[in-house]
Amino acid sequence: MIKLSTMFWLVLVLVTGFGMFGVKYAVQSLEDDLNRIKKATIAEEHAIRTDEAEWAYLTRPETLDEMNRHYLSLGPIATKQLRVTVVDIPLRPQPPVVADASPADAPALESGVAPIAAANPGAEAAAAAPGGQTAASAPEAPVVAAASEKLAHPTELAKPTPTKTAGKPVVVPRRPTSLDELIAQVAGSR
Amino acid sequence: MVAIPYLDDNPCRPRHFKPPPCVAIISEGPAMQALEACRSRLLVTAALFALVFAVVGLRVAEIALFEGGAAQSHVGRLRVVSAPVPSHADITDRNGNVVATTLDSPSLYAVPKQILDPVEATSKIVRVFPKLSSAEIYAKLTSGKSFVWIKRHLTPREQYDVNQLGIPGLEFEHEERRIYPGGGLTSHVVGYAGIDNTGFAGVERALDDVLKERREPLPLSLDLRLQYILREELQRVIDDFTAKGGAGLVMDVNTGEILAMASLPDFDPNHPATPDPNHPALSLADRMFNRNTLGVYELGSIFKIFTVAMALDAGTSTLTSTYDASHPIAIGRFTISDYHGKHRVLNVPEILMYSSNIGAARMAMAAGAQKQREFLARLGLLRKPKIEISEVGAPHYPAKWREVNVMTIAFGHGISVTPLSFATAAAALVNGGVLRQATLVKLPPGNAPQGQQVISAKTSDQMRRLMRLVVEHGTGTMAAAPGYVVGGKTGTADKVTGRHYADRKLLSSFIGFFPINAPKYLVLAMVDEPHPNKQSHGYATAGWTVAPATSRIVQRIAPVLGVQPVDESSPEVQRALIVESLQGKRLEAY
Repeated sequence: MIKLSTMFWLVLVLVTGFGMFGVKYAVQSLEDDLNRIKKATIAEEHAIRTDEAEWAYLTRPETLDEMNRHYLSLGPIATKQLRVTVVDIPLRPQPPVVADASPADAPALESGVAPIAAANPGAEAAAAAPGGQTAASAPEAPVVAAASEKLAHPTELAKPTPTKTAGKPVVVPRRPTSLDELIAQVAGSR
Repeated sequence: MVAIPYLDDNPCRPRHFKPPPCVAIISEGPAMQALEACRSRLLVTAALFALVFAVVGLRVAEIALFEGGAAQSHVGRLRVVSAPVPSHADITDRNGNVVATTLDSPSLYAVPKQILDPVEATSKIVRVFPKLSSAEIYAKLTSGKSFVWIKRHLTPREQYDVNQLGIPGLEFEHEERRIYPGGGLTSHVVGYAGIDNTGFAGVERALDDVLKERREPLPLSLDLRLQYILREELQRVIDDFTAKGGAGLVMDVNTGEILAMASLPDFDPNHPATPDPNHPALSLADRMFNRNTLGVYELGSIFKIFTVAMALDAGTSTLTSTYDASHPIAIGRFTISDYHGKHRVLNVPEILMYSSNIGAARMAMAAGAQKQREFLARLGLLRKPKIEISEVGAPHYPAKWREVNVMTIAFGHGISVTPLSFATAAAALVNGGVLRQATLVKLPPGNAPQGQQVISAKTSDQMRRLMRLVVEHGTGTMAAAPGYVVGGKTGTADKVTGRHYADRKLLSSFIGFFPINAPKYLVLAMVDEPHPNKQSHGYATAGWTVAPATSRIVQRIAPVLGVQPVDESSPEVQRALIVESLQGKRLEAY
């Protein structure tokens, strides 16, 4: 007759024994996983180092120069290619605005062109309206939907002489200062 | 005791055999109970054993029949894996392109005792390494030793191939090797490391301790693209004028960072001792020699910028001061004469423009030995340059600063400095007067060192104007790079051989800055013993050799550096570069 207490201890021993081994094996298996991952990581790191070295070798200026000569024949950038900046590229010509006899103080809002009568022709940039598209013109000739006039080269307009602007009122979009602004302007003008 | 009758019923029973009692003879009482307990215990034990064996048997069956190869060996499961850290950190250029790296380069060894079939193993190994002799390998494999090297420093591909052979008894030893993917491009700057990765030259040697401690790559101030352009253009000058060698550097004048530095001839740091296939006659010492930092040279006329700056800064001359350069000066056994003689009285801008030795000598005399020496010392020209390279040369200058020394030093003779020291000092002349130590390690952006004010901002401004004049109207017209507003100074020095100046051996150099109206970069180019060619009309002077090279270098590197070309005739540029004292004067064509 097995006593109840013996039974209890027996069960306890079995449970703790199995429990302990279970935990032990679980830990071992986790350690195995960890080591495997570590080994794989190291192997991967080595591979990356090797690849980086190889990349550096394959992209030596010498090799690139050789390949360029072989496949592309690109020459060094000439200075004159760099003279023109993004700012100097002319904008798309403005679509003609119907001169529907709108009053002079609110003429070209439909076309998205806000009239700015710049007192000083050199300060169009300072006279920027929040609308993005502004027009600079001589004070004595406010813009009356004159956007149909073909746009001149902005560089010319960048340094306008008073006589020139006074002579022909031209809608000048504000000079964009960055490529993003330019793209926004071009998109807005459509 | 009761005899069991049926046993005796067997007629064939041998007469002498008496069967043991099979059934418990004891049928009652406490003995009977003990026997019962004993029997049941045996039964339980047997059942347990049966169970365990059944489990083992089932597991064997499971592995053998169902799991197959998936069953894993757990041998050596508790080996701790730690990442092997490379002994030296990588070196990159300022854009993160790898210049030097440490790669795992395993070495192959064999344990001959474990090799089962040496003949087969030998033939397989030779297939992977066709350069090894099979007789030698066979001898190694049959030597019966427990360790023989087969090959040191395998490439990753070779290691893969050897693994694919699957020969037991071949093992790898983890070793490292320093690799320079760029080859000779950065040879003198980066230097090279020996077989145990200890630095032997250049940054590798000077920063060996830093590289050992660092984990992340060390970024140099160099830009590989600029380095390539500089080296290529220098090589072109050397080839065009059949020169002995050349050196050059590109520096950021506002931070002291060296963006490119090349000295030719050079070497491949991956195997420094191997002769150059294109120039097998060049000696190893010559190729290892860093002309930028170790070589000291009498640089000649480009030194006049210091004479002029010194005189202007000290106030002993102004831009309108004039000096008589109509006759050569005879002093001791020397006669100081002008190479581009004008034979008249010259003012300060003209002295620099036409590179007048007589004028420079008179200017220096007006200032005096004390001021000259003190000025050169302030610019760091009288001490060894400090840079992250261990090969640096100490300047040579007279211990006693006599009158003749004052005169010759005024035009760059009688004092030898490294091109690096020269460039560092020259940068201070144009950047507003702040001397900053040259460095080869990338500085964090917007973190230029404080520096030391060595000349006034006003003198610096004047120097910019004067150096522009040299390129516009003086000896350096061929250095002009339209759009980039180059300013600078030419220098053609007679080389010293023994105790005398050799007449036909020149050292031509050019120091250029661009854009000179707001200097950003310095280009120094120097060529050693150039010989005239047809295109140069018999000249090998700086104006015909390195000045055009500087122009080409500037035009090629400026787009890389993001320098926007400007209209040189625009009023802003003109205003920044005008020299009032020459206003209204008709400039003689040089």
